[in-house]
Amino acid sequence: MAQVNMIDLREFIIKSMSEVFDMMLSMSLNVVDESSIIPLNGDKLMGSVSFAGKASGSINIHIGGNFAKTITAKMLGMTTDEIESNEEIHDVIGETSNMVGGSLKSRLCDSGFPCALSIPSVTSGGSFHVESKDWQFHEKILMENNNQFVIVEVFMKAST
Amino acid sequence: MTLKVLTVDDSKTIRMIVKKAFKDYDCELTEAENGLEGLEVARQEKPGLIVLDITMPVMNGIEMLGQLKADPELKKIPVIMLTAESGKDNVMQIVKMGVTDYIVKPFKGEQLIERAVKIVSLQLLESKTVEDDHAGRYLKKEGDVRHLVFPDKVNRQIALEMDGFIPKTIEEMTKNNQKKIIVDLRKTVEINVSMIKLIILLIARFSKAGVKYKIVGTESVKTELKSFQETCDLKIDGSIEDALAGLQ
Repeated sequence: MAQVNMIDLREFIIKSMSEVFDMMLSMSLNVVDESSIIPLNGDKLMGSVSFAGKASGSINIHIGGNFAKTITAKMLGMTTDEIESNEEIHDVIGETSNMVGGSLKSRLCDSGFPCALSIPSVTSGGSFHVESKDWQFHEKILMENNNQFVIVEVFMKAST
Repeated sequence: MTLKVLTVDDSKTIRMIVKKAFKDYDCELTEAENGLEGLEVARQEKPGLIVLDITMPVMNGIEMLGQLKADPELKKIPVIMLTAESGKDNVMQIVKMGVTDYIVKPFKGEQLIERAVKIVSLQLLESKTVEDDHAGRYLKKEGDVRHLVFPDKVNRQIALEMDGFIPKTIEEMTKNNQKKIIVDLRKTVEINVSMIKLIILLIARFSKAGVKYKIVGTESVKTELKSFQETCDLKIDGSIEDALAGLQ
C-alpha cells in the first residue's frame, strides 16, 4: 500500500491528460481549483477504462457534449459540422480514455503493481451519476481549455 | 514505387490519424479493425508496412504479429506496433516477438513518419492539386478504362472529394478519347444517403459527357441499391470482367 502511495496519482493524471491533449490535439489543458468543480450541465459523455490486478480501479473522463465535439473535430482534422455521427465522437473519447488508462497502467506495472486494462467504454446522456465503491485512493481533477471543461476522476485500490 | 501501408486498429480515430500522417507520401493505405481482418488484408495486399495496434477485439495485435511471423509470405513485412502502454514488460514482449519498431500513444503523425522512414522508403508526393491527390486515392487506370473505386463507406467529405476530381477526369478522358469507366462498389460495406446521391450525380455527369460506364458490386450491394427508389433500376455487374465485356 505504501508503494502505491508513492505514485502521485494526481500529478500523474494531470501530466497524462496534458500530454494527450497536447500531442493529439495541440491543445493545452489548465487545472482549475477543485473547489470550483461543478457538475457538467446538458449532454455529456464519460469515457471509462478499468484496470485490475495488484492494483485495481477505474479512470472516468467526463466531458460536455460541445467540448467532446470540438476535440473530435480537432483529432480527426475536420470542422464540427463535418462530424457525421456520434460514433466518431464516442471513438475519440474512448481512445482518449484508453491512452490515459494505458499510461497509468504502465506506471503501475513498472512500480510493481501488475494489472490488465479493460477496453474503453463510453456513456452518454443528459443526467447520469457514477459511483465506485471500496476505493482507497481517489482523485477528481477539473481541467479546462478556452472555458470548456473536462473532469477526470480516478478510483483505485491495491490488492491485499 | 507506391508503398502499401496497412493500419490495423479498432479505433477509427487512430486509423484516421495514421492516414493523415501518410497523406503527403506516395502510399496506398488500407485498413482493418482487428487482427483477423488484418491478416486477411495482409495476405491479399502484401503491404510494405503494417501499423498494428495491440488491444483489439476478435484477435489482438500480439496474436496477429505471431501469425505474421509464422507465415513465410508475411514474416518479412516490417511492423510498427502502436501501444497505449509504455511499461517495460509490454515493450520487452513486443520487441521479443520481432516487431520492427513501436510507438506509444499519444503520438503525433510526424513521429510515426520518423519511425517509418527508418524502415521503408517513403517518397513524398509531387506537388499536386488537392483534386489530383483525391483522384489518386479513388481512381486508377487499366488500359483505356478508368476504375473509380468506392471506399467501404461514403460520408459527406468523401463524396465531395470524389465529385471534386470527376469533371477534370472526364475532360481528360474526352481529350484522350478514352470514355469508359467502371464504378467499383465491391469494397462498399454501408450504403447511405451520401453514397446514393454521389452515384446519381456521377451517372448524370457521365451521361452528359457521353462516357460509357458500368457499375460493379457484390450481391449485398446490388440488393441494397435495389431498395432505394433512386437506384432500383441500376444495372450492377457482379465482376470486373463482366463490366469490361459490357464496355466493349
